[in-house]
Amino acid sequence: MTTSHLGRLAMAAIIAAMILVPVIQASEESLNLVSLILIWALFAIGFDLIFGMAGMLSFGHAALFGSGGYALTLLVTKAGVGFLPALGAAGIVGAIMAFGLSIFALRVSGLFFSLLTLALAQLVYILASTKLRNYTGGLDGIPGVPRPELFGIDFYNNRNFYYFLIVVFIVGLAVMALLRASPFGKALKAVQANDVRAAQIGYNVQRLRQCGFMVSGFYAGVSGALLASLMFYISPQMLHWTTSGDVLIMTVLGGKGTLLGPILGVAVFEVLKEKLSQYTQHWYGILGLIFILCTIFLPNGLAGLFARKAAGRPGDAP
Amino acid sequence: MSTIVIGLSLSFLLFLLAAGLTLIFGMLGVINFAHGALYMLGAYVCFQIVNWTGSFWIGLLLAPIVVAALGAAMEMSALKPVYERDHIYQLLLTFGFILVIEEAVKIVWGLDYKQVPTPDLFSQPVALFGSQIPSYRLFIIGFGATVSLALFLLLERSRLGMVIRAASSDADMAQTLGIDVAKVRTAVFALGAGLAALGGVVAAPLVPIELGMGFSVIIDCFVVVIIGGLGNIRGAILAALLLGMARAAGFTYAPEWVELITFVLLIATLLTRPAGFFSRKGRAA
Repeated sequence: MTTSHLGRLAMAAIIAAMILVPVIQASEESLNLVSLILIWALFAIGFDLIFGMAGMLSFGHAALFGSGGYALTLLVTKAGVGFLPALGAAGIVGAIMAFGLSIFALRVSGLFFSLLTLALAQLVYILASTKLRNYTGGLDGIPGVPRPELFGIDFYNNRNFYYFLIVVFIVGLAVMALLRASPFGKALKAVQANDVRAAQIGYNVQRLRQCGFMVSGFYAGVSGALLASLMFYISPQMLHWTTSGDVLIMTVLGGKGTLLGPILGVAVFEVLKEKLSQYTQHWYGILGLIFILCTIFLPNGLAGLFARKAAGRPGDAP
Repeated sequence: MSTIVIGLSLSFLLFLLAAGLTLIFGMLGVINFAHGALYMLGAYVCFQIVNWTGSFWIGLLLAPIVVAALGAAMEMSALKPVYERDHIYQLLLTFGFILVIEEAVKIVWGLDYKQVPTPDLFSQPVALFGSQIPSYRLFIIGFGATVSLALFLLLERSRLGMVIRAASSDADMAQTLGIDVAKVRTAVFALGAGLAALGGVVAAPLVPIELGMGFSVIIDCFVVVIIGGLGNIRGAILAALLLGMARAAGFTYAPEWVELITFVLLIATLLTRPAGFFSRKGRAA
């Protein structure tokens, strides 16, 4: 299970490219595109911590993502909290939501876990778009989500905000790399490989799943808050099941179970979306088709393709 | 009285759908995420047939066959290669089909919603125990009960049902005994898809036919399957009754909260009997 050199090189190249792109090419669209990629990549690596590492297919991550977004929005606009503390709080709200979902969802396992996370997330969506209308603005959402003001730098300038995103992303990536290599990450792997045996050698399987889910929720909350801030807008669409579907598609496209995979998947998804939507309004169906083909023929995603070439072992992801 | 009739018709509709889902899961081990999309497709195909022929009954007959054929094609092209892999891949695949089916519907029928008129035979309300009951609701109850009974007889009493059960409990052994397991799997998936479409056709005169219609339905189906206990047809009947009646009561007495009733039942089940109310065993898979 060592990360292949090719994988690391690719990772470094991607990060370098992301930093350099706005320096070299200053068009607003490309800046917006890489900003989106950074935010969704943060979401996707958090998602993959439980999907790829622990084998738990959550269909409820939209609820964590969206509640992070709402937490930041409400804290900054209604409670007057500073941007950075609110961003941290958004992560914590994501983790708390994950804890809440897991109380119910972890009572079942496997496919039923997926169905339950989906149903519960839909409950959150319904609540936010109807019952909590007074706080969430209902289906219309809340416009005017603010951006940070730090050290006198104007983050309403897209390039400055992009650098802020880069910093958050690299911190998130580094923490995730450490987590995955830590005993905690290895224990999650063990749970995926065989949860009965993992329990027998003394792991508290449910506790591990729950912790993983909460860390994943933290990432989802932070990235949701950043997305709302990038777009200056939040609506229940962020809580909708299609959002959970999107992060799933991205992760599978890129390759689940790897650190590089989800990032690659997000980049491919966003670029494909950008290009396809220029030619056809039915790009989502084409993405669905690509997703189906990828599931059948490339079970380890694009990153799996890299690893196969690097290690010469078929089907073994880095 | 009308609450009871509405509740029963809702229950039978839910059961029709949940039965297809449970059937596919019980026999193939696949959770068909696209079940709701197939339900939606059934309604749209019915709309098209009614548009061409002017007869709801031809739609009722043909739309499920069309969708079942599509289901067979889905199974042979995409699911067959991944049976040996982890369950997650089958979930992913059927999820992919949702996206493709929704887009196809968007291309063919556009975004505005469609309607199928109630068939003439059942367009007039009937008086029952002193209240006016929409007769189409009564038709759903009768039709749903007939189909459920036929399905039960097919699976439990017929030779074909025996073959299906043999192929699902031990595929290798069935293969050795001369059963073409691959064909049986295709047939079962097609049958499940057909049942989903049948649900869509039956619901078509009652609801606006639109893109999102499959999704709320699939959540209700999942909830029925979870409350009823996995792969448990009797449990699914009881859970569908419970959910249908609860929703009908909700429409009458607490319309503000009707959307949340499903979730309340779901959460109550999970807190008390995580394996489902009507299941004696723990849950696998």
